[in-house]
Amino acid sequence: MGALMALVAKDIKQLLRDPRSLVMVLLMPILVMFMFAAGYGEERGGVVPVAVVNLDGGVVSWQFIEAIRGSGNFRIVGFSPAKEIGIEMVRKSEAYAAIVIPQGFSDSIIAGKSTRIVVVLDASYATVSEIVWQAVAIAVQQFTKIAAEQYSTFNIDVMRETVYGPKVSNLDTFTSVVMGVLLHLVPMSLIAVSISRERERRTFEQLIMTPITSAHIVIGKLLAYSIVTVVDMLVTLGLSVLLLGVSVRGPLMDLTLVSLLLLVCSLSLGLLISAVSRNQLQAYQASIFFFIPSMLFSGFFMPVELLSPFAHAIGKFLPMYYFIRAFKSIQLRGWTLADVAQDCAILAGEALFFLVAAIRMLRLRVE
Amino acid sequence: MGLAIEAVNLTKVFGIFKAVNNVTLKVEEGVIFGLLGPNGAGKTTTIRMILGLLKPTSGYVKVFGIDVTRERKRALNLVGYMPQQFSLYEDLTVEENLRLYASLYGINGLEAEKRIRELLDELMLAEYRKRPAGKLSGGTRQRLALAAAVVNRPRLLVVDEPTAGVDPPLRRYFWEKFRKLRDEGVTVLVTTHYMDEAENCDKIALMSRGSVAAEGSPLEIKRLAYGGDLLELEIVGNPQPIVEEFGFKVLSSETRGGVEKVTLLVPDASLVLASLTRALERSGVKVVRAYPVPVSLEDAFIRLTASSYSLKR
Ligand SMILES: Nc1ncnc2c1ncn2[C@@H]1O[C@H](COP(=O)(O)OP(=O)(O)O)[C@@H](O)[C@H]1O
Ligand SMILES: [Mg+2]
Repeated sequence: MGALMALVAKDIKQLLRDPRSLVMVLLMPILVMFMFAAGYGEERGGVVPVAVVNLDGGVVSWQFIEAIRGSGNFRIVGFSPAKEIGIEMVRKSEAYAAIVIPQGFSDSIIAGKSTRIVVVLDASYATVSEIVWQAVAIAVQQFTKIAAEQYSTFNIDVMRETVYGPKVSNLDTFTSVVMGVLLHLVPMSLIAVSISRERERRTFEQLIMTPITSAHIVIGKLLAYSIVTVVDMLVTLGLSVLLLGVSVRGPLMDLTLVSLLLLVCSLSLGLLISAVSRNQLQAYQASIFFFIPSMLFSGFFMPVELLSPFAHAIGKFLPMYYFIRAFKSIQLRGWTLADVAQDCAILAGEALFFLVAAIRMLRLRVE
Repeated sequence: MGLAIEAVNLTKVFGIFKAVNNVTLKVEEGVIFGLLGPNGAGKTTTIRMILGLLKPTSGYVKVFGIDVTRERKRALNLVGYMPQQFSLYEDLTVEENLRLYASLYGINGLEAEKRIRELLDELMLAEYRKRPAGKLSGGTRQRLALAAAVVNRPRLLVVDEPTAGVDPPLRRYFWEKFRKLRDEGVTVLVTTHYMDEAENCDKIALMSRGSVAAEGSPLEIKRLAYGGDLLELEIVGNPQPIVEEFGFKVLSSETRGGVEKVTLLVPDASLVLASLTRALERSGVKVVRAYPVPVSLEDAFIRLTASSYSLKR
């Protein structure tokens, strides 16, 4: 027990006396949070620049254009009489989309016949296209309603209702992702180099000549790094909620506990990497390598359930997958720890697994 | 007396390179045992295998009869180690390093305070106690390393090149320290590539290119190198009949100013010196001077490794 405490104290001192690790532990998460809030916090409200190609020119077409402008979602950056010019503007990213009103548009509407408009999108920006597509749909819907009344055709209104809504801001949507990155990549790469650093500085050779076990070394480092990074985690979380305006619907305490679980899990995985890697560079690269599947298959960008079965299968092994699920549920849906108990149990189980593996893999030798 | 170290047929292969080849060392308790040899001879590798830091490719080690790999904890409690390179924490202070190592050996509280104060005084570190180990000069660092190595009062102290790059007063101080520890019953295994220092050892093993070329006390090593002691006589007269009678070999002889200087190879200079002189005088040869020739271990080493080299060829 005395030996373990001595090792914890030693590792904490070393962490706090090393400027490089201090920057990584303390400064980086706070900077990242501020950058995130600055970038995602303020929303432009989806004012999308579009080009309008009016091949009709009739009175109804102008009514339609007015409806688009009036929807508040668009800024019309150009009118043109030819479809090609509109497409060219989209190609050059001068407009995010070109809305093409066909010839005979007004006549068709007045006659109560169906017609169509064409929206030219930039497929290379899938998310932008999606936003434009939705906004156009809404504008058309609104216009149809006006036209229906004026020209006595019929109209079907689609009403949108949500659960956990009405709308979740970008900031809130991506908080789980940013917290996930900060609680996974940073502690993992930090602790992953810790044992190889002792090997490279040769302190390992002296350390393992004392009658301690690999469990002392591994658990000592886990405790020391946990203590330092937990402070950091609390600061980051507190900062997000109090200063940056991230909203949390569930209990903050539960959110903190879920974060703590990921933190411990990341540190344990980092220790496993540390135990088996030969030098700091290798350990560092390994932790980046382990982070990539977490980024791809944990629901950072979209739910893994919507990706391939392969992605889904991988995701089920990743701590990050369970963290994102649990964190989002508490933060955005207002659930409590009890509701995400299964995710938490899996996170804890993985942490334990990595820890035991690290202890078993760590060889007290200098080869 | 039992054996402090019993290392049998140790071999270590790195890739295709045989760093240590079939080395057997038996170190008795309570001696200073020197492992000598030039850089790259395999001293550090041998030591690391003895301490369980490296797994031997073949062979086995016991320390005080304990298998280090099987009963690590029990064995390591009896051992102190000062590696070749400084291996303490450079960002911890002198005192913090010592306290850490005391705790790792299960020495805590008042007992630890007492032991640390003792070591700080003994190794003249008291004035540096608050200084980070990385900011110490070379000699002070070495003293700290030794303090950490003996914090648990080991029965076997293993020191790897403690005097490399250290100024002469501190070198002398270290050897005095080792002798003092030996007198207290501690077994000291020390490596060095300075041959002159090895005179301080009770027993030495000469290592060359991974093998032990010779083993014994410094005197035995020298005898081994030449096949006996060297005795020089300055005489007037013909010594030939008596020398032949004794069966000694004449290595060289030269005459200068009527006095002949003869170098003889004898089994034991201290035993034969008196009787030979008496016999020569009795046969009418005048003995001006007779004395054993001091041989340096370095000469002996060169002779021994050169012959083993030519034998291998
Ligand atoms: N880990 C290692 N990998 C490969 N070669 C090594 C290793 N350690 C030592 N050697 C080689 O083994 C030989 C003996 O080294 P060492 O035991 O350090 O010699 P000494 O301590 O006598 O100077 C040297 O040639 C050295 O380069
Ligand atoms: Mg060496």
